[in-house]
Amino acid sequence: MRLDEFIEGFDRDEAAERRRLAEEKSYEITNHLEDVERQFEETVQGDALFGSTAPEIFVGRSGYPDVSTGVLSPMASDADAGQFATSGQWYRDGLGIDDVLQRRTGMLNSTRSANVDVSDVWDGFVGTQREVAIADHPVDVEVGLDGTPDLDVSFDDIGTPTGPRARATNADLAENPHVPRAVEKTLEDDDWQAEGAMNYLYRRGFDVYEVNTILSAGALGQRRQRTLVPTRWSITAVDDTVGQYLRGTIQNCNTIDQTEVWYNEYMGNRYWVLMAPGQWEFELVEMKAPESVWNPTGQTHYLASANEGYEGRTGYVEETAGAYYASRLGVLEHLQERDRQAKCLVLREVTDDYWAPVGVWQVREGVRNAFEEGVARETNESDGDAAYQDQPAVAESFRDAVTAVTEQLPVSLGTLRRKSDMVAGLQSTLADF
Amino acid sequence: MASFLMDGGVAVAKMFNAIVSADTLQATLDSVSVLVDECKIHLNDEGLEIRAVDPANVGMVDLTLEAAAFESYETDGGLIGVNLSRLEDIAGMADAGQLVHLELDEETRKLHIAIDGLEYTLALIDPDSIRQEPDLPDLDLAAHVVIEGKDIDRSVTAADMVSDHIALGVDATDELFYVDAEGDTDDVHLELDREDLIDLTPGDAHSLFSLDYLQNMNKAIPKDAEVRMELGDEFPVKMHFDFAEGQGSVTYMLAPRIQSE
Repeated sequence: MRLDEFIEGFDRDEAAERRRLAEEKSYEITNHLEDVERQFEETVQGDALFGSTAPEIFVGRSGYPDVSTGVLSPMASDADAGQFATSGQWYRDGLGIDDVLQRRTGMLNSTRSANVDVSDVWDGFVGTQREVAIADHPVDVEVGLDGTPDLDVSFDDIGTPTGPRARATNADLAENPHVPRAVEKTLEDDDWQAEGAMNYLYRRGFDVYEVNTILSAGALGQRRQRTLVPTRWSITAVDDTVGQYLRGTIQNCNTIDQTEVWYNEYMGNRYWVLMAPGQWEFELVEMKAPESVWNPTGQTHYLASANEGYEGRTGYVEETAGAYYASRLGVLEHLQERDRQAKCLVLREVTDDYWAPVGVWQVREGVRNAFEEGVARETNESDGDAAYQDQPAVAESFRDAVTAVTEQLPVSLGTLRRKSDMVAGLQSTLADF
Repeated sequence: MASFLMDGGVAVAKMFNAIVSADTLQATLDSVSVLVDECKIHLNDEGLEIRAVDPANVGMVDLTLEAAAFESYETDGGLIGVNLSRLEDIAGMADAGQLVHLELDEETRKLHIAIDGLEYTLALIDPDSIRQEPDLPDLDLAAHVVIEGKDIDRSVTAADMVSDHIALGVDATDELFYVDAEGDTDDVHLELDREDLIDLTPGDAHSLFSLDYLQNMNKAIPKDAEVRMELGDEFPVKMHFDFAEGQGSVTYMLAPRIQSE
């Protein structure tokens, strides 16, 4: 066992201090919003025409199939628009919660309501929005606005937060967007099911963030079924679809040959990935601290879990929602790289440092990067030593690994066993007897 | 009935012509379709035999149906491959007590199915394209219990209210069979002693099973069946029962979730 060298729990006595800091941070955001308002007044010209560079789009889900749909663009005219789009780069740049909120609140969401049925719509506001989505670079657009923006931040457990919103009257492209060839191919083929097209783009090197934006704009799938897909749904749909594809690629692989524990910590979330030899099996267990953002009034840790066996799930998860598919994707990408299968248990502890939800990308990158060799990240905040995480800890058995990791967890082994199918017992096969 | 499954290179069946009651056909298909979507059916003079394992290699079924269970039965032996859910749908068109006529067309590799004037032609599947049949693990299980189908149903239904898995065990000292399910907050426990059981051969046994599988198997177990259950310590469970008035028999085997490793 080398698990003990591995994670030091951060000092829980500091919880009150951290909450105080979190409150301060949230005031920083309030200050930031005032700056945004000022920027907006500077940017919007007399006729309320707003010229900017849009890296991303947003599709709401309330009122479906008539939804609010928007183009997101940074208001600071000197901003590098590409950095405002959610991607794995945010993790590599070491963005914190406040950084993410600043970026997102610095973008204006110019919205219009539209019907999701867009199979042939390539003009008008929705057409412009779709062009922005399929382009490989941020696109210059001019948006006509109706009134001043509503300076508010909206949060979601899956989508990345969005900032100020304004009603748009129209939007026009100010340049010819460049569309990658692979995307053109999926667009032109009107008899290609969305799932297949998503996997094609993923295999061609598009990350799930890009695939998600393209899907959201209704640019994938059989022609008659092409619709705008609410951002929240499309994120999970892409994670799930690509995950199923990856699962298919590893189901006949050899299994790993020892029990491994990987660890990462990001934005007040701690991730343990326990992998044991055997046929594919996956579970996510989430432990959300009292007073963390998704358990604000709780007295004890809120637990949620979801799992799947060798053949996967038949229904959408009842607990853990998008985090399940995002963390499963991270684990499957790692296994595919190694050409191995395994039984994988992901434990996610949400500490009260996670004071504002930044979206499910944080889970995806947290798990993905738990495996990253050579990407050194500090695993220990409480002392100055940089404990770098590039090799897994190895355990004699899954049971030993669970027992050792439980010492770092805020819940007991007994509680975990009741919540986790994999901790209760790993599925064997008839061939084992 | 002699097992002929392990003989290598079983030929594809050329002739098969049988009449069977809809109830018997439906019970046969249901017992297998809870685990797999397609299967190979072995035909010989004495009857038919199906053995299949689910893709995860966790649950297995071994079924025989004697020729005597049919109204009429003729075959020259061999193998056919069927899509079970389709065949189940067709068999479901028959009312209880109605007869179903099955006839293999050797030329077209199709199965003609006739139910009271309704004719359906079912395309067969190349048996070679169906997942290979499993070897039967040779298990020496210490505890034997004979239990009513309805008690299995009760256990599985109650366990499902609290958990995704269920422990089955035998306490050799107190001579009782027990069921345990632990959920997030709630527990289910059931004990059946010699009085409640049809028979009990005590031996220490305790194994944890996925409820998904057990629920599916439970669907196919008649509530009034006598089920012979064999159990061990962290070992697969075997469940055996008869149908079609004793002329059909089913054995399920289910691999456990391992707690100790």
